[in-house]
Amino acid sequence: MAAWWWGRRRHRWNQRLVLLLFLAPWLVSFVTFTLYPIAHSFYLSFTKYSPIRGGEPQFVGLANYERILNDPRFWQALKNTVIFVVGTIPVTTTIAVTLAVFLNERIKLRTFFRATYFLPVVTSIVVIATIWTYIYSPLGVLNAFLNLLGLEGRNWLLDVTFALPAIMVMDIWASFGYYTILFLAGLQSIPEELYEAASLDGANAVQRFFRITLPLLRPTLVFALVINTIRSFQIFTEVYVMTQGGPIGATTTLVYYLYNMGFQKFRMGYASALAYVLVLIILVFALVQMRLLRYGERVSDGMG
Amino acid sequence: MVRPKGPLVRLRRALLYVVLSAIALTTLFPFALMILTSLRTGGAIITTLDQLIPREITFQNYVDVWRDDRFDLYFRNTVLITAAAIVGNTIFDAMVAYALSRKAFRGRQLILIVILISMMIPIHVQLIPIFILMNKLKLYDTLWALILPELVQGFGIFLMKQYFDGLPRELDEAALIDGASDWQIFWRVLMPLARPALAVLAINTALSSWNAFILPLILTASPETRTLSLGLALYQTQYGIDYVHSMAAASISSLPLLALFLVFQRHIIAGLTKGAVK
Repeated sequence: MAAWWWGRRRHRWNQRLVLLLFLAPWLVSFVTFTLYPIAHSFYLSFTKYSPIRGGEPQFVGLANYERILNDPRFWQALKNTVIFVVGTIPVTTTIAVTLAVFLNERIKLRTFFRATYFLPVVTSIVVIATIWTYIYSPLGVLNAFLNLLGLEGRNWLLDVTFALPAIMVMDIWASFGYYTILFLAGLQSIPEELYEAASLDGANAVQRFFRITLPLLRPTLVFALVINTIRSFQIFTEVYVMTQGGPIGATTTLVYYLYNMGFQKFRMGYASALAYVLVLIILVFALVQMRLLRYGERVSDGMG
Repeated sequence: MVRPKGPLVRLRRALLYVVLSAIALTTLFPFALMILTSLRTGGAIITTLDQLIPREITFQNYVDVWRDDRFDLYFRNTVLITAAAIVGNTIFDAMVAYALSRKAFRGRQLILIVILISMMIPIHVQLIPIFILMNKLKLYDTLWALILPELVQGFGIFLMKQYFDGLPRELDEAALIDGASDWQIFWRVLMPLARPALAVLAINTALSSWNAFILPLILTASPETRTLSLGLALYQTQYGIDYVHSMAAASISSLPLLALFLVFQRHIIAGLTKGAVK
């Protein structure tokens, strides 16, 4: 009896050990590179900490957060980021939905178009930003093209008014392909019979789009909007490569400002507070979006 | 159902092809510009559009950045990091996925939720502590600093779990009766069957790891540990005007992946949009 009991106990211990072994890679990685950093930067956000001067973190309470609220450069960065998000996402989404609807028809060369639109998605942002810096340069292709039309060119990335829109245009170019493919996959899951039934009922193409396509595409659409919002709020690499946040802060985004504070000025306490403000802003935007677009709502409700 | 093919329908279809082609050309143009400029002799100043096509071509720009600007080093580093990330993720993500798919235990649901949430949290919150940690571990400015955080990824765990869930449990039970251990079931039974999912995971890991930028930027300092993306960014911000060379460097950084994409196009598109559409 005792031997049986011990055997069972040993077996259970073995089972737990095996389980732990299989989970170990995630446990170690999660604790070291996610959980600990998140907790540590939360603590740092209440401190004054500049490691290059050899100091230790000094607890300062809410001082960093208070300073953020009164920091004009933070507000400018927030404004630039919101302009970026609000200016790019509707355009990207409209282009992507249109192209997806087109590609969903019986067309030749669909594979070619799909692959072509996807090319920028697999290319590093640094490469894309480098090419576009060249396109936008004073003696670059864009100005040559404008001259051809008899228009005056300019130094796009050094222009306070045009630098941010120039980066936004590039971002739309670089990202619409991903969303096109996403929407195309969503469209392909809509049964063909629905369209045929609607046609028989005398619905025209526009009615079919607004009554069938759009409601049934909504889950994909909401998903795309939310992930694009989360991504766009973190825009950084483009700015780093093309403008370094300039001219005079015209392209400084939230993450660029965070990088500038944390890793160029080594004000790591302040930068940590900025990081938490960033998370808060993204969280609020994503939640509001999901609420407004009624993410959880069933597709059938939308068709009523 | 027979669709009428009047002139209006034909016009509409023609318009559709015009739009699709115009956007395809817009997408391809910057890539063509990159390659054409990288092959030019002399400067890259373009004042009229007919100068876009170089009169004579040279590969000297590639030789220059490869040898003199140390893109050979950056290339080697990027290949090493990408290879390590692929090996790490295909093994570790699959191990974790095995436990989550095949073992019933308390906290399983919680782990899944935690992984999902940690995938949504911006990396920028973790940057400063990771920087401090790597300094303390004396790993700052080593390739390890770039490899270790990339070895296990939530995306891969979910992908593999989903795939394992679809494989019948009778397979494991049969192996169990034959006296196989968990490790043997995982390694000899499930992993060989999961090859399609492993391929998707490997390709995704290759893309994200090859193109990674923010970690190399904050965790390395010397050319010996620089990656292609970082090397190109620093080159561009330093020698901005020298476009023939920066386009050659951009080509070196992107052509291996673009070639990979052209070969595995279908799998890559399927993999990158997976899970987004139910």
